[in-house]
Amino acid sequence: MTELLQVRGLEVEYTTRSGTTPAVRGVDFDVERGAVVAIVGESGSGKSTISQALIRQVAEGGRITGGSVVFDGRDLLQLPEKSLRSLRGARIGFVPQDPSSSLNPLIKVGEQIAESLRLHTGLSRKDAAKRAVEILAEVGISEPAARADQYPHELSGGMRQRVLIGIAWACEPALVIADEPTSALDVTVQRHVLDRMELLAAQHDTAVLLVTHDLAVAADRASRMLVMNQGRIVEQGTAADVLGDPQHEYTRRLVAAAPGLSSGRMHPRPVEVHGEDTRRALTLGFAERRDADRVPNILEVEDLVKTYSLRGGLGDKSTLVAVDHVSFSVPRGTTYSLVGESGSGKTTTARIAARLVQADSGVVRFDGQDIGELRGESLRQLRRRVQVVYQNPFGSLDPTMTVEAIVSEPLTAFRIGSRAERRETARALLDAVRLDPEFASRKPAQLSGGQRQRVAIARALALGPELLVLDEPVSALDVSVQEQILQLLVDLQREFALSYLFISHDLGVIRQISDSVAVMQHGRVVESGSAETVMSTPQDAYTRELLAAIPGAHSGP
Amino acid sequence: MKTLLTRPGMIVSALIVIAALALTFAPQLFATHDPYEGIPADQLQPPSAAHWFGTDALGRDLYSRVVYGAFLSLATAGLAVVVGVAIGAVVGLVSGFIGGRVDFVLMRIVDVVIAVPSILLSLIVVAGLGFGAVPVAIGVGIGAAGSFARVTRSQVVRVRTAEYVEAARSMGVRWPAILVRHVFPNSARPVIALAALEVGTAILAVSALSFLGFGAAPPAPEWGALVSYGRDFLATAWWLSVLPGAVILVVVLAVNRLARAIGGER
Amino acid sequence: MKQTGDSRARRALRFIAPRLFQFVFVVWAAYTVTFLLLHLLPGDPLIAALSVKGGDATPTDPAELSELRARYGLDGSVWDQYVTNGLAALRGDLGVSIATGQNVGDMIARALPNTAIVAVLALLIGVVVSLLITYWAFVTRAGWLRNTLLQIPPLGVAIPAFFSGLVLVSIFAYGLGILPSSGTRNPLSPILPAITLAMPVGAIFFQVFSAAVLEARASSYVFTAIAKGVSLPTLFFRHVLRNALLPSITILGLLIGYLAGGTAVVESVFSRDGIGRLTVDAVLARDSNVVQGVVIVVAVVYSVVNLLVDFSYGLTDPRTRPAALRRRVQDARNQAVVER
Repeated sequence: MTELLQVRGLEVEYTTRSGTTPAVRGVDFDVERGAVVAIVGESGSGKSTISQALIRQVAEGGRITGGSVVFDGRDLLQLPEKSLRSLRGARIGFVPQDPSSSLNPLIKVGEQIAESLRLHTGLSRKDAAKRAVEILAEVGISEPAARADQYPHELSGGMRQRVLIGIAWACEPALVIADEPTSALDVTVQRHVLDRMELLAAQHDTAVLLVTHDLAVAADRASRMLVMNQGRIVEQGTAADVLGDPQHEYTRRLVAAAPGLSSGRMHPRPVEVHGEDTRRALTLGFAERRDADRVPNILEVEDLVKTYSLRGGLGDKSTLVAVDHVSFSVPRGTTYSLVGESGSGKTTTARIAARLVQADSGVVRFDGQDIGELRGESLRQLRRRVQVVYQNPFGSLDPTMTVEAIVSEPLTAFRIGSRAERRETARALLDAVRLDPEFASRKPAQLSGGQRQRVAIARALALGPELLVLDEPVSALDVSVQEQILQLLVDLQREFALSYLFISHDLGVIRQISDSVAVMQHGRVVESGSAETVMSTPQDAYTRELLAAIPGAHSGP
Repeated sequence: MKTLLTRPGMIVSALIVIAALALTFAPQLFATHDPYEGIPADQLQPPSAAHWFGTDALGRDLYSRVVYGAFLSLATAGLAVVVGVAIGAVVGLVSGFIGGRVDFVLMRIVDVVIAVPSILLSLIVVAGLGFGAVPVAIGVGIGAAGSFARVTRSQVVRVRTAEYVEAARSMGVRWPAILVRHVFPNSARPVIALAALEVGTAILAVSALSFLGFGAAPPAPEWGALVSYGRDFLATAWWLSVLPGAVILVVVLAVNRLARAIGGER
Repeated sequence: MKQTGDSRARRALRFIAPRLFQFVFVVWAAYTVTFLLLHLLPGDPLIAALSVKGGDATPTDPAELSELRARYGLDGSVWDQYVTNGLAALRGDLGVSIATGQNVGDMIARALPNTAIVAVLALLIGVVVSLLITYWAFVTRAGWLRNTLLQIPPLGVAIPAFFSGLVLVSIFAYGLGILPSSGTRNPLSPILPAITLAMPVGAIFFQVFSAAVLEARASSYVFTAIAKGVSLPTLFFRHVLRNALLPSITILGLLIGYLAGGTAVVESVFSRDGIGRLTVDAVLARDSNVVQGVVIVVAVVYSVVNLLVDFSYGLTDPRTRPAALRRRVQDARNQAVVER
């Protein structure tokens, strides 16, 4: 017997109030000793359910209904609870998804590793604590002795994920299941964490089952890949084969959509507007645009500064400079992107540009006019020309309103058109964002993430704005949906002569949509220029690091 | 709506509440005897076909007294909820929407009102206003207003800071429109659910105060007063206390069950 | 994360000062609110009390009345009374009962132990039973059993205390004759009142606690622990219990308030001389001085408990940062208020 893990015909279903839905429908695969196998799929594909089913711990409402999971000659699904417990943590480690909530907040991190050691290796309390410190050092945490004595909230996200990796590897297991281990982390941190996992796996000859939505991460790290769609494995093979010559139609789409693997700016396709009536309905809210004396830059930002005071209570006030002397300008009809990791100040900058937040100092000029001091009605009139699309399509749509009411709300706010005309416009807008107008009567809860984001974009277009501020508009979406939304944005830009201020942490996405790029770090712009120049010949060290951290660089086509 | 009907507990609860409302507004349709005139020969009879809930020491039919007591108990509780909701919702709305210092001051006052146990607060009001159904209703209402204000405020604050409200603002929607279109519909449900839950609490509080002798004066057949009356016969005529008490329990359970359903639980 | 002694002291001060302030504020405000309700609602407190006491023999002679007013501290303008009575209360002098002529402080001091023993016992029963049922629901594999167990608290909240008390008396005192039905003399006498009171109080605690346990059960860190190979009991006691108790203890103050209120009914049912019965009798006699005194004492007890809860929270939760802590405490209390 050479295979460490043999999964045959695994089936899992979830029972909810509305009925029973299969999540995993008969899955077969093997993991050989010491190999790194990746399970790739989008949300709802069942990949995380598999990872949980392997240790027989599916989420509330889930039930394993069939199949076998043979680990080292024993079927885990038939094992008594007690024997299973002695395997969990000892022979099979698990690295969970979300480092911010996966550690017990009330127990010191050293002790959380030591607990596993005491359970499975029979070490004494003292020896286990000592070994935990060594493990912290092994996973690359500096000052491990001091860190062991800290609580999870005192550690950064990357460090917490290292601790979780330490727990998984503590008892030198034969298999580690890593469920989206880095999707909550910044790219540069992601790379270091994955490197560390790779190193540990090599040192201890551990097999790793890497569950990820990111094709590029899988391509970089795994020797073999399983592609999942709707609870089934649609394709498996070596990483190079799957990516280089995808057989299944779904895999082909996935590979084509992955931003880290393809590159270059997308090209606009015409938006089909059927007939003159529809066009009239679509442009109901559009204000007359003055073509005379246009300034070349739709948006100019000069020397913006924004500081937040972090109140620690009485007395000690520390301040955080969120935006530190930032200047840029957005040429009319182009996409200008701000890219950076969390805490870089990119979102605050965008919010200042959209006049949602007031800057401490600096100038924001929209179409040549200083908008920093606008108040009341004149500010409201500005809103017609600048619209915002938010990151989270789940939060930015009012759950009590219908799609039609949401899309036509800007028209209602400015008292444009009759009720019937607004309804017509809402449908035309939905059509323009390639959403079936039948959706008009639905509520946001009945839509998928991608559909919601289309609704948000349709709403933003209703008034015929000149500038759209897009705050991470695709980062909450699956890659294939991501690509569709980006393509839509590119198409609409051409059709309606829009300018975009685009915010993202993902250089892959940035590359697909931007004309110009500004890289931000710690509130400053460290590098800016045309997208092509910045991407191909980065000048700043941080930009280079960001580019190097994009997964897919190792083995991309 | 479909799931609502497939749940037997919900149906039973709904039927009980409907029945209680019917008793409240048309007791004459359901009573079998006169609630105030007893038949001396029938005194202290256990439950039977003639007297479903038995009779008291004056030979009055307990079932009919419970039927006629529904109005006193439930209408008083209803008035209490109206008082509590009116005060609480206004304070919570103002506090949550204006925020800042107004919010701080109002919420500190609410803290204090919550610090005094609500039944004690009701007792203070009754001590000041005198006895009877209306003072009891006002007392219970004021006792409930504090928690109501707090929940309303937290809902308003939650919605006010929601992303879709900011999105509406960024589209140029005016504040009054935001209040009407977004804040009210989204904060209404939990507040209504709490109001419904408060009905159950108020029925308990009102009957407790009546039990203690602060409510409608005898011989009014208020439910709490009926239980209190039965205490003296506990060893000999158990039904006098137990049956009215059981009625209170069943109605409160049903009301709470519906309230939780409104609140979106299961 | 190292701190100098100075900043540690300042941090401690920063933690304690607002809570002490809140303590003083709550007691003062409870006094004020009660005073306003008693004195600004229509009706003269003295006349109301005297008419209850004397029936038709209520003195009407102005001289006699003003003498009585002076004796009960009800003379002078409302503002004068407010200040004088407030200052007196600060010295520990709660005035004289209109109905009985006794010192209010003494009356309360006599009643307090009887109430305290029932309240503490009820709290203990309520909390322990909640813990046991929740643990049972946690370890059971049968979904229906878990759901049934978790349906218990709505029942506890809906039972009128006067009803459950009477049922208990019928069964255990009149039926089986093993426990006393009333009074305070028998050492077993607190048992039935405590059980009666434990039902609603335990139900409130149960709701908050079991919700916290279920939330913890579904949390990622519990998954991590399971993936480590931890057994169910260890999981409960080591990983879930502490996390779930944190939000639960924040409502202890609220429960104390509920206990204080609940005793009014329970002590009447069981004819026990305690704070609750004292209050009910005072209200029946419209004796505003006693009512006022009781409210002050209850507010002090409530505030002391909340203060202790806040401190213990500060000691047990490593994440204690004033702002976040306040928010969590507030959230838990809000939830408890909703579920009451």
